[in-house]
Order: sequence, then C-alpha cells, then structure tokens
Amino acid sequence: MADYKLIGKNYVTPDLVAKVTGKARYAEDYRAEGMLFVKLLLSPRPHARVTRIDASAALSMPGVHAILTADDMPAPPPPPAPPPAPAPAAPRPQGEAGAPGAAAGAAAPAAAAAAAAPAAAQPPAPPRPRVPAEVALTKEPVYEGEPILAVAADSEDIAAAAIERIVVEYEPLPFVIDPLDSLRPGGPDGRLEGNVFVGANVETLKWTAADIARIEAGTFPADAAASETLVFGDVEKGFAEADLVIERDHYQQTTSHQPLESRTAMAYWQNGKCYLHGSTQSVARTVAAAAGWIGIKPEELVLISEYTGGGFGSKIPGAQSMAIPALLSRKLNGRPVMMRISREEETYIGRTRPGYQGWLKMGFKKDGRLTAIDMFIVEAAGPYRRQGDHATSANNTSLMYQVPNMRFRGVSVATNTPPGTSQRAPGGLQASVMVEPMVDEAARKLGLDRIAIRKINSPEGQAQFGLAPVNAPPGRPRNKVTSCFVKECLDKGAELFNWAERSKRSGQRRGNKVTGVAVATGSYTAGSIGVDGLSVLKPDGKLYIHQGIGNLGTHSVIDTARVIAEQVDMPWEKCVVVWGNTGNHVAWSSVQAGSQTTYAHSRANYAAGQALKRNLQELAALELGGAPDDYDVGGERVFRRGNPGRAIPFAKAAELAIKRGGKFDGHEVPKELNGMTKASAAALAGLGLMGVARDNLPRDGSTYSFQAAFIEVEVDVETGVYRIVDYLAVVDVGTVMHPNSLGGQIHGGGIQGFGHVRSQNLVYDRHYGAGLSNRMYNNKPPTLLDVPVEQPMRWAAVELPDPTNPIGAKGIGEPAIGAGGGALICALADAVGDGILRRTPVHPEQILMSLAAGKPAYETLTAFI
Amino acid sequence: MPAAIRDVMPAFELFQPTSVADTLGLLERHGADAWVMGGGLDTFDWLKDRLRKPKVVVDLSAVAELRGIKDAGGGIEIGAMTTLTEVATNALVKERFGLLAEATGLVASPQIRNQGTMGGNVAQDARCWYYRAGWPCYRAGGNICYADTPTAVNREHAIFDADRCVAVNPSDTAPALIALDAQMVVRRGASELVVPAQDFFVGPGVDITRLTLLRPGDLLTAVRIPGTWAGKQFYFEKVRDRQVWDFALVNVASAINASGNAISEARLVVNGVSARPYRLEAVEAFVRGKARDEQTAEQAGALAVRGALPLRHNAYKVPLMKALVKRAIRGAGAWTS
Amino acid sequence: MPEGPITSVPGGQPGVSRRNFIKGVIAAGATVSASAYLFRANIAGQDSSLPGSVERLITLNVNGQERRVDVLKHETLAMTLRYKLGLTGTKLGCDRAECGACTVLVDDVPHYSCSVLTHTVRGRKIVSIEGLAAPDGTLHPVQQAVVDGQGFQCAFCMPGFVMTAVGYLKTNPNPTRAEMAHGLSGNLCRCADYNKILDVMMNAAEGMRRA
Repeated sequence: MADYKLIGKNYVTPDLVAKVTGKARYAEDYRAEGMLFVKLLLSPRPHARVTRIDASAALSMPGVHAILTADDMPAPPPPPAPPPAPAPAAPRPQGEAGAPGAAAGAAAPAAAAAAAAPAAAQPPAPPRPRVPAEVALTKEPVYEGEPILAVAADSEDIAAAAIERIVVEYEPLPFVIDPLDSLRPGGPDGRLEGNVFVGANVETLKWTAADIARIEAGTFPADAAASETLVFGDVEKGFAEADLVIERDHYQQTTSHQPLESRTAMAYWQNGKCYLHGSTQSVARTVAAAAGWIGIKPEELVLISEYTGGGFGSKIPGAQSMAIPALLSRKLNGRPVMMRISREEETYIGRTRPGYQGWLKMGFKKDGRLTAIDMFIVEAAGPYRRQGDHATSANNTSLMYQVPNMRFRGVSVATNTPPGTSQRAPGGLQASVMVEPMVDEAARKLGLDRIAIRKINSPEGQAQFGLAPVNAPPGRPRNKVTSCFVKECLDKGAELFNWAERSKRSGQRRGNKVTGVAVATGSYTAGSIGVDGLSVLKPDGKLYIHQGIGNLGTHSVIDTARVIAEQVDMPWEKCVVVWGNTGNHVAWSSVQAGSQTTYAHSRANYAAGQALKRNLQELAALELGGAPDDYDVGGERVFRRGNPGRAIPFAKAAELAIKRGGKFDGHEVPKELNGMTKASAAALAGLGLMGVARDNLPRDGSTYSFQAAFIEVEVDVETGVYRIVDYLAVVDVGTVMHPNSLGGQIHGGGIQGFGHVRSQNLVYDRHYGAGLSNRMYNNKPPTLLDVPVEQPMRWAAVELPDPTNPIGAKGIGEPAIGAGGGALICALADAVGDGILRRTPVHPEQILMSLAAGKPAYETLTAFI
Repeated sequence: MPAAIRDVMPAFELFQPTSVADTLGLLERHGADAWVMGGGLDTFDWLKDRLRKPKVVVDLSAVAELRGIKDAGGGIEIGAMTTLTEVATNALVKERFGLLAEATGLVASPQIRNQGTMGGNVAQDARCWYYRAGWPCYRAGGNICYADTPTAVNREHAIFDADRCVAVNPSDTAPALIALDAQMVVRRGASELVVPAQDFFVGPGVDITRLTLLRPGDLLTAVRIPGTWAGKQFYFEKVRDRQVWDFALVNVASAINASGNAISEARLVVNGVSARPYRLEAVEAFVRGKARDEQTAEQAGALAVRGALPLRHNAYKVPLMKALVKRAIRGAGAWTS
Repeated sequence: MPEGPITSVPGGQPGVSRRNFIKGVIAAGATVSASAYLFRANIAGQDSSLPGSVERLITLNVNGQERRVDVLKHETLAMTLRYKLGLTGTKLGCDRAECGACTVLVDDVPHYSCSVLTHTVRGRKIVSIEGLAAPDGTLHPVQQAVVDGQGFQCAFCMPGFVMTAVGYLKTNPNPTRAEMAHGLSGNLCRCADYNKILDVMMNAAEGMRRA
C-alpha cells in the first residue's frame, strides 16, 4: 500500500470544534431581521380531494401575513420519459435514478446502468397513466399528513392559531394502508390512476380470488401475478437439483428515517435571488431540484446547508417542502420566512423505507452450494412512485450468494402512507434480514458450519451478479464488481471473534437465558463515477478545496478533500474545505448517498490533485525553465528534481498563476467538466492556481463494499426480552481513509440495523388510514441501551484496495446496516429456533408466544400493525 | 370543521404559588379553567398537541413544602413534587423501600426522571395512542373506543377490566406504591383525604375520563409509605421494547414477607394490563403460607392471569404477565433489598 | 383521524381572542433582543395582585451571565435560549422530551429544555453548550474528549449529549462503561454513533478526573 501522509490517518476534522461548541449552524439556527414563521395545515385524511378552503378568518387575524396553497405552486416539470419497460435489472445506484426531482441528466451512473441494460423488445403498449410529481402543497393529498397549505405569521403562536381557524373540506377517496388489501379483487387503489407502480407509471393489478383465499389462509400466494419479473438461469431446474429446499413467508415493516434534524427551512429573497437555508445531503445535487420546486432557474437560487442533522437517504434531494418558505417569502417581498418542521411533521413528510410482504425459496446441495433462489416481494411504496427496494434486494442477493439460478417477482403497491425513498442500503438491509436466517437454517439442516455455507456461495474477485427481464435477449453480459473480499472478511472475523469456540455456545441455556451466536453479511453499491474535483491554491498559501456534497457527519466531505492535499504534499493545516453553500462555488458532486461519496470523490479529487500538480509543474517550467516533468512538488513548493533550491513556493506560484491566467488560474478549464463546476470555476477564476478535473478514470463494472458481522445475544425465554452481548464487524471497503470515521460508520450502520430488527416501526389504523406512531416514543428508534454497553463493539478492515480507485478506497456506509440487522435476527433464530422469526421488528412477544405455541405465532402477511 | 395542528403550545396565564394554601386558592378561583402542572412532562404533550387549552396553568415547582423525602416513623413521606431521580437515589428509600427506588429508576429516561415528579408519575394520563392523538373516544368524552375495533392496533392495551375504554395505566411507580401499601395524601379544598394507593386509581367503570380520583381543584400533596414493608423482599421488573423512554408493556411489583422459605405475606401488583394498576389479591392469598419455590411461583403465575380477556394484538400480555408474576414470587436471580 | 369534532375534547378551550392579539402586536416592540421573533403575542392579561402571579420580564442566569429577557408564560427554555438569547447550540430534535438534543444543565442537572417552562428556572443556573468552553476558547474536558476521539457524526445530538455527560459526571466521576451508558441514555443519536460516543465519554471521564 502506498505510503500516505494523510490518507489512512486519524485526524480531527475541521468542523468538529464548531459542532462541539454549538457554533455549527443547521437550518433552524439562522436568523434574519423581520423573520416570519410558518405553520402547516396537514391533511387529516389518507387520500382525499380538497373541495373547499376557507381561510378568511385566518387571513383577518392580526399578525397573519400570507397563506400559501397548492394554487401558488409552480407547474411541476413534466414527468420524465418512461424508461424501457420493464424496469432495468442493473443495480440501482441508490439515490441517483430514484431520487425524486434529481436534476435530469445528472445521474451519470444511473444512465450508464440503464444503458447497460439493453432495451427490451416490447410491442407498443397503450399509453399508461403517469404519476403526478410530488409538490410541496397539494389539492389531492395521498397520505395523512401531506401539507395542504401554509400560513406565515409574526409568530408560531399566531400561525398555529390561524391554522385552527381555517376550514378545509375534503371529498374522501379510497385509500390503501396494507398493500395486500389493494391487490384483492375490488380492493382500493392508492391512486386515482391505479394501484401498482410499474416503471414511471401507475397500473392496475388485482390478484385472483384464489390468491386472496391463500392469504386468508395465512400463506403468501407465491404464484400470484407480478408486475415485474427478473431472472437469471432456470430456477425450476435449480430446485430440481437441490437436496434441500426451504421456503418461508416474510414480512418487514416500513420505517421512518427520523433524522434528528427535521427538514426545517428558512428563505428570503435579495436582489432577485432566493437564499434558502435547508437540510440536504448535497447542495450540488439539490439546487436544481429545489429551484424547480420554487419555479426559478438554478442560478437564481443560493442553497445553504452547511451542517445536515442526519439524512440516511431522506434528504438526498432536499425536500419539496423547502419551497414553502421560499414561495411565501416571495409573496412577502422577500421577507425572511422560517418554517420549523415539528417531529410529527417530519414523521409525515420525512420519507420512509418501504415495507415488504413476501416469500423466499432457496435450494441447496448437500455441501451447502445454492442451486436456486426464488423471491417474491410486495413493496409498500408509499403514494408517489415505485421505490424499487424489492428489486434491489434481489440484485444484492444475487451478488452475496452466487446462485446459478434465480428469479425475482415483485409488485410495488401504491400505499397512502408517507412517501418512500432510499433509506441506508435500500433493499440491501431487507435482503440481509430476509435471506441470512434461511441460509443459517439450511446450514443447520445440512450439518454445515455457518461460515462455511457462506464462503461456498460468496462472491470473490470481479464476481458477476444481477438478473435480467424475462424477455431480455440472450447473451447479455451480467454486471460485475470491481473488487470483492467478503471471504477475507469472514475469515478475519472468524479469527477475531473466535468463531470456532464461540459458536459452540449456540442455544446454551443458563436459567431462563439462552445464548444465540451468529454471523451475517451485507453488501451494497459503494461508488459512482463522473463527478468533479475543484481546488484553488491562493496567494495566502492555502489550498481551498470546494466540495458540493454536504456535511452529514460521515466526514467524507472532509476525508475525500485530503486526497487533493495528498497529491501536492500540502500540509493539512493549510487546507480549507469549502462546502455546503452554492454561493461559495462548489464542484459538481455525488448526491452523497448509496455509499458513493468516498469512492466518487476520492477519484475526482485525485484527478483534481493531479491537475493541480500538473499546473504547478507547467508553471515552474515556464518560470524556471526546463520541462514540466523536471519538477516535483513538496514542502509547499514546486521544485526542480535533483535541485531542490530551484523552486517556487506555493503562495508565489498562486500569484504567478494569476498573472499568467488561462488554465493556470481557472480562466480556461477542461471542456468535459460538468456544468456546475464550470460555473464555479469561472467564479473562482483569477483567485489563484486552480486544480480542477472531472473523474474520467476508467472503471469496468460496479463497485460494491462488503461486511461480515459477528454477534452474540442473550434471550430471556420467559419474557422474550433479549440483549446484544457482543458485536464485531469486519469490512471490505478497500483502502481505509479515516479509521475513526470508518468505525463510526460501521457501528452506526450496525446499530441502525439492530433498530430495524428490534424496534422501529410505523403503525396505522387500517380503517381510518391514520398513523398511530407519529412520535418517537411510538416509532422507536434504537437507544443507547439497545446496543452492547458492557463491552465495546469492535471492528476491523481487511484493507485490500479496490483496483479501480487511485487510492483503493470504496464506499462505507451501507453494507453495515444489512450485516448488523442480519446478524441480530440470525442470532435470535440461533437462540430460539429456525423459521420462527419471520416478521420484523422482533418484539419480545414474538419470541414469547412462538416458544409457548411451539410454532410461529405471528403471521407474516399483515402490514403496518 | 376547522383544521387541527399538533404543534406550538397555546398561551395561558401562569401562576407559580409558593405554598399549598395559595395553590388551593388558585385552584378554587379558576376551577375547571386551571391545569395543575408538576414536572410538566405529561402536561406539555397535551398542550403542544393543542388538545388541552387551559386558561390558567398552576405550576407547583415553587411550592417548597411539596418537595422532599421525610422519615415518618419507620416509613417515609414523599412530597408530590419530589423528582423521580431524588426518589430513585435517596438513601432512605433505597434502604427501606428498594422496590420503589428500583421502579422509579426505570421510568422513561434520566432527564425525565430529573424533572418528572412522584406525583406526576402516579397521576399521569393514559398513553393509548388513539386517545393521545385526540380522537373523540370514550375517555375523551365521546362514545366509541377506537382501540377496540376489528382494525385497531392494540398491542399495548388492556387484558383486564376493560369497560368501554381499553387504555392501561402507564405508571411504573404506581404498582410499587400499591405493593408497599402506600397512602396518597390529597387536598380537596379545606379537607385532606388520605387514600390507600390502591383506591387512588380508578377504572373506566368509575370514571372513564380519569385514571385517578383526582378531580379539578384537587391537589396530590404527598405519598406516605408505612413502615410495614420496610426492608422486606422485593421484586420489580419492567418489560418494554426499548430500554429507555418506553412505557411498560407489562410491569410487576412484589413485596414479600418471608419466614424461612415460607411466604407469610405478599403484595403483588401488575401494571400495563388494565386502567388501574392490577392488584393480585387472589394470588396474595394463594401464596400465603406456601414455600417460596418454583412450584408456588408457577401456580401463582397461572392464577394471576385467570379471567384475562385479550384483544386482537395483546394476547402476549397473558404469558408475559404470567412469567413476571412467577418471577416476582420466585424472586430467583432477582434483585432483593 | 376519524370524522367528528376532534377539537371538542374535555378541557378544550376556544382559541385566543382577537383583542389579545392586537395587544400582542403592540407589545412586540418591547422584546429585549433583536432576534426575539418567535413569540409576538402577549395573550392573557394578568392581575399581579394574585399570589403566584408572574412577571414577564425576568432575569435569567445563563452561562454565568445575568440576562434580562421578556418571556411569555408558555415559552419553553429551549425557545428562550434559541430565539431570544441567540444560543442556537441547543437543538430542538423533537420538542417532546423524547430525543435529548435540547439538554441543558439547570443547577448542574441535565434537563430537556424543550420541556421546561422558562419561568420555572428564574434564579437558577442555566448552562448551555455555549457556556462550557473557557472564555479563552479552551474546551471543557468533555468537549476536548469529543474532539480527540472524533466523536459523533451529524452532531445534531452532540450538544445535548455533551451537556448530559457534563451533568452526569458531576454525580458519578468514575463510571463504568455501562453506568456511563445509563447516564447518557436519555439522548438519542440517529446516526447511532453510540459506541464511539461511549468511547469518547469514557475518555472524557478520565480527562475530568485528571483536570
């Protein structure tokens, strides 16, 4: 491994002192003279048409300044053209293709992925209804809590009182809470246009009476109609060859992202520009979408989100609701308007991970080798669009388990529940939680070690994966990964966890406590390509690195900036990272989701660092004679090799670059730069010596990271209460860039996985379509006492570089959540028995009742309870 | 109908009396317009949801005589405004009534215990999520129970003594206090009522809109615990999904007076299963004189859940309560004072 | 939500009268801070002759300073700190005592400032995250431990956690890891960086003992 000065070292990120002293400003921390306050009127119904709004009493209240309704919303941009149907099987780079409102043409990796999937030869179909775009305020609310109107007033007190004086009349419309209800003949449709999302469209799909009879008998109808089918190999043949076939029904709940900072926003207008303080994962990738929601051009919007209080996917494109204060402010001649989003509002408008009702069948040879996997998942997509977690689960499974025959069938049902979006490892978490316990069950039935059964099926090297639409032409190449070292993770973990000895504790009982020990794996996409790096060496001797991603606390915004510094041997103390404000001229960036950032921005910043170095070399050659390659950089100077006295200090080089202009100071930039970077470079031109580049480095395949997690739990079989005793995670994330930060990501993800398995949930009354768990004490994110506390959680990395990244790094965040969640549910099954825990979250009663009954006591087919 | 909003506390007039006498005067003067606030944690939920809009809030935080823990002839008296942290960490409480210290230490979270009060914890309102969301149910003065319909999600609701409403009492300290045979001291105008803890709590058959006998104008001033059970053998356990914040799915409190291995007397209370903390007098009678062993515990558990009537989603409370009662009698591996 | 008069629950009161709003708008000019925007309505009149009646203009002791501030009767400490005193380091995560982001010390004891009426802490010593570091910028040992260990991620929960830790360590300067976890358990971290938080807080305890 290269001998780096910065990469791979622990350091204190420059944002930390601001955070720990309370000076770091999040959206609600901004103040402006004359600021007004907004409160929202939310739909009390899960699906309705607004027939009348009488706001006269509210408008006549002193202190009420303006009301904003759906009529004030700019016309939404036309929906994107439908993709070739059915949906492409290639991996969905999380948050790219799927991000609502993501700037068109921005999704380079998604476009590449789509291009890799040959368009299916389809007969022309009749035009199908498109899904109307989500807008900040609506006249047809499609979930309880969807904002109908907003009031701006002198104070929150007045705004809230004004809301209570507004009369809204609704015409109720049919609604869907439980997806399977919608699939019944005559069952309700979640949208007026239909009940099932197919690609960008809504269609109507109903199952047969016979299918429904099976549901009522408690069995998932695995031969029911699917709206999307993907295959690889011949699943029937695979099962025929199997020595052991296991099939299970399965349910996973819908969960809310619940970032601790809600999507509060504040806006004002000045000199024709809108200044918007919001909360987003990437200002570069949100500014165009947000401008669209406001109805202005991106260059008319300055978007500020320097500190983001958690996103987990829910703030990938910011939030439609950010348009509300901006539009109210415009109505009020630019007066500042603060919209504080309450926790209950955040639960409504703040996005969800779609729940699953499904079925999984797996065939194994005696040696544990998988022969076939058949997967059917109904996804509770929320009201606006196909989420696609279900297909991603299949895709991920085809990678983690190199099965020769696999089929996925899915239905994405429109539900009148808060909108879905990517949540950390969308589909990846659910895949681990669904698949891993069945792999363990097979190991036990076949008398195999649980690590051995994983290793015999695990990917390695440039492993291939993926499924294709049934009618795809033959010979289509499969997707492949750029590197994979999950077997190494399993081996290293087995050693560190002392698996050989620890696994003997499985099922041991001491009094009322039973021990469970388990291992599980997780994987996810870990890097996109094609973004830009932008840096300016200024006459003050400092290197300014401009990043378009936000500061989510993963520190990747800082960590990847160090790659530029490393290229030119710049002391870290002299580097300034600029981020979080489009007014400060940032580079075109990833959405900072789907574990893309570390990989994408270390590549882009490597390229920018190389450009910076080249500019220094060329400048030195011009100033001091010789050829550029005669020069090297180091010690804040560009110097002649073999004659280090012949040198230009960086600060001086910056001055000389400004004098020379052209490419040296950013007046000329590479043509292939993304548009936003070009504009930023133009604004920064003349300020110093510029290093700017687009990531044009080659890559063949998709980049994935991997994790193996080892866990020990203790289950109280008298009450069903359990606790995690010990946890170890081993990751394959390529080169480790920042150990402390990596450790935080590994265990943060693992604990979020625990939360999914043990407590988080959204609950609805199906008759009224009303959410019952809008508060955190009801939707239950994991607490500090739901994790191991006696003994620190441990982690390790295999530290094998990815060949397609110049420093060898891959993404970090996502695999951890699936491995953590999978490990916990596997350990519970290890303690209490196979086939019992088929529903998450695993509340104590599921264990208690199942043990008492001697069989699974909780059915798997009802959602949102 | 006008729209609702579940954010922003409505304005009220605030009074901060410094004596019980002044407090009672204020309560009398403002009648049903007044809201008594202890630590405020239950209060703020109602107010910020704008489901209660009292004209007047009477804040008890400045009433010094409502605070503190006093030695009272082998027993103790705990002022209603004493914080839960003080109760959980007080040396006298720990020494004599470890059961209460234990139960109090498991309430909600550290910060809530730092502010929440003894009086507030016993007088808190039901946490049924339909009721707390402002649905016009029986408990809210309507004529339906939304938690007891075919589609209702009632995992956290009652298995005993439901009468129209199926909400449960959420308190952790209440069962401990009943097990310790505490008395609640209530000022009602000029008179002082001293009520056994068990009778302080009321079911929906008595008053469907309240969990306690406190009426507007009443003031709970103190909890008195007699010396009878000081230093006996105690057991408390709380089962919940998350180990912080969550209310009990079921909790159990027991106080046992044993001579040798024989139980001479026991008091046993379960909460989270009905609108009142559920005292198990039949089980107490059954175990009297019996050996404190697995068999007695097992039988006690079975007896405890007799007559339970679960709803669609809370049948698990029957075996859970059975297990907790068993453990409360057996005490094995349990904390004892 | 079902059909029906959901606002007509027992105890429900009609909204604020218009007359009082007018009065409130006039009163707005009296606020003490230029950033005092949040509450402009002075609602009910009051008879100061009654026992226990409350004056709106009060003195608060915040971070060692006496601050005169006009506080509404129903105003929470979090709102006063954030919107009247400009101390935005205290975060509002839930406003309902279920996340801990707003934790401050009141007489050294951690409280959820979203759930404290400002009028109940008159004359008490309030410390928020802004009050921890020394005037010369030297960080408090707990803050320093966070920095040294690169603790927390998005950090929206961080001020609350730090305040809870400072308060807890006053009651238990030498905690075990499990005790520390219990002490900090009233703070939620959605990035779930709990393991690293416990690491840095154990270091903080050591730093405090050395200091």
